[in-house]
Amino acid sequence: MAGSVIVITSGKGGVGKTTTSANIGTALAHMGNKVVLIDTDIGLRNLDLLLGLENRIVYTIVDVVEERCKLKQALVKDKKNPNLCLLAAAQTRDKSALDAEQLKDICDKLKEDFDYVLVDCPAGIEQGFQNAVAGANEAIVVTTPEMSAIRDADRIIGLLESKEGVDKYRLLVNRVRPNLIKSNDMMGVDDVVEILSCELIGVIPEDTNIITSTNKGEPVVNDEKSLAGMAYLNVAKRIMGEEVPLLDIDEPKTLIDKIKKFFAKKVQE
Amino acid sequence: MYDNEFFVVDMASCTSTGEIVNSLSLALETLNHSGKKIVLKLNDTYLNQSQLLSIQSLVTSYGCILDTIETINKETAQLAENMNIFVQKPIEKRVEEKYISNEEKTSDFIPFNINTENKSEIIPLKEANETHFQANLDALAQAQSEIDIQKDLLNAGINPNADFENIEKQISSQYIAPDDIVKTVEEFSKINNSLLDDFKAQEIKEEIKEEEKEDENEETQEELQDVEKNSIGVYKKAYDEYEAQEDQWEDVDFYETPTTDPVVSDSKNTTYINQTLRSGQVLESDGNVVIIGDCHPGSEIRAIGDITVWGVLSGIAHAGCKGNLNAKVRALKLNAVQLRIGNCYSRRPDGTNIPYIIKSSIFTPEEARVVDNEIMLFKINQN
Repeated sequence: MAGSVIVITSGKGGVGKTTTSANIGTALAHMGNKVVLIDTDIGLRNLDLLLGLENRIVYTIVDVVEERCKLKQALVKDKKNPNLCLLAAAQTRDKSALDAEQLKDICDKLKEDFDYVLVDCPAGIEQGFQNAVAGANEAIVVTTPEMSAIRDADRIIGLLESKEGVDKYRLLVNRVRPNLIKSNDMMGVDDVVEILSCELIGVIPEDTNIITSTNKGEPVVNDEKSLAGMAYLNVAKRIMGEEVPLLDIDEPKTLIDKIKKFFAKKVQE
Repeated sequence: MYDNEFFVVDMASCTSTGEIVNSLSLALETLNHSGKKIVLKLNDTYLNQSQLLSIQSLVTSYGCILDTIETINKETAQLAENMNIFVQKPIEKRVEEKYISNEEKTSDFIPFNINTENKSEIIPLKEANETHFQANLDALAQAQSEIDIQKDLLNAGINPNADFENIEKQISSQYIAPDDIVKTVEEFSKINNSLLDDFKAQEIKEEIKEEEKEDENEETQEELQDVEKNSIGVYKKAYDEYEAQEDQWEDVDFYETPTTDPVVSDSKNTTYINQTLRSGQVLESDGNVVIIGDCHPGSEIRAIGDITVWGVLSGIAHAGCKGNLNAKVRALKLNAVQLRIGNCYSRRPDGTNIPYIIKSSIFTPEEARVVDNEIMLFKINQN
């Protein structure tokens, strides 16, 4: 059984690669898959924090590569879900500690034991990106509906297309604010998809729960009430091959909103 | 002796008029008893006429009447009599008798003391709203106990505001009904065991294959042992009653035990550093390490000898990294992600994983030592 290696990348920093990795990984594991998350952001690791596994890391991916430990020893099991493992990045080294061949080897070894190998890619298109993409056969490109993020995503898609081995790449639009789209202050999801001409895998709304969940070290998919959590669950289902309609991310209308609208109309008249 | 109409204010410990006026106004403000007759207990304090008049006007301003004054001082007594105030000589025993007799009755009398700065006592007799006082007392006691709990939590390095139990419950109730939490634990442990079995089975298969090949046989056996033995425990406080919530899901973190002979550092060789260690920075030393400053999460200190941090230690600290189990880690605030001494590894308890440390919080100097192959935290100078 060979699992699939999915790289989560974006080009631009701060669009939510790590959050996406943590949440999709947790969601896939909850649905019964064996999942391993690889953090390749060496020197600026964050994935362990989001999963709340910071205190359990003894060996990192660099230790594996430099043969100070075996691969299985470096896998950190999740607190809650035994199906989920993390291969953490080293904090005290930099991107040059790893090369593409080594990461490819690791991915190949891991996909024999796991259904999904998710690789969290660092920002940029340098060595770190080249390493992360090396072993992947699928990619998720994360972007936000902003011109700068879209430009970078376009560049990344170009690089992915020229890369051998990556059969499939899909787009995830993160931090969408329906209210701003309605008032024409933000690009719509359709526009983004049209500009990038790329298959869409999911739309994640902006959600304040993400901030609290990051600080708690608990992925937001564990929160059933959270809209972003539901959206990530749907993305995970789509990765598994299910066909799930896009989530209705319109913010719920409160009474105050209705009253505001009513008066706005009156003023216009 | 005194009935419902009277209210006794004990000012025997007060020496100056300022104190008397201050405590009296405080007493009358806190308790509501307009229309009552005030009995003022003064021990030996001399009050002149104007002072007496000001006290009287103070009492009347609260809607009470200054009825009686108890004093030993003859001049004060004389003046008070001139102002048509009753004067009595204090009888020490009377109050005590009152106390005893009333304690026996319990229902009609509840002594209520307010310790002001002046240490004067206010003793209401047969106060109308006893229940009010009882409620006050209860509230006070409760508040005190809450403060105690919070202190304990803070000592344990935990943010008292976080509701860990609830969070824990929420998580476990996500996929299975909350009533069956115990069951879920069992189920998860089953899954865990089965997974472990899978691992083992796979490795046994590998072993068989490799036995046929007759090479690298030893390595697989080592791996098997790794799976069974190794997992990181939580470091505990030796002095605190608080114990970290036990992990319901045994985490499988592996590490190899060093087999080389322990190297003990030369005590003369000490690295002294006067800066904050930030994320990603590593400090290695073949002696002892003293850091004046904080060690942020993500930083790492490795020393053959002891580690002392004059600040908040939040990174990873490895004392006696060449196998010396007698090495120690000391810090003003021990919040380390991981503590390693010799070949003992331990991690911070879950739930204390706060992303930042409030530096203004009270420092609790601690020392980490190895006791029975477990890393324990002690207060500095605790045996």
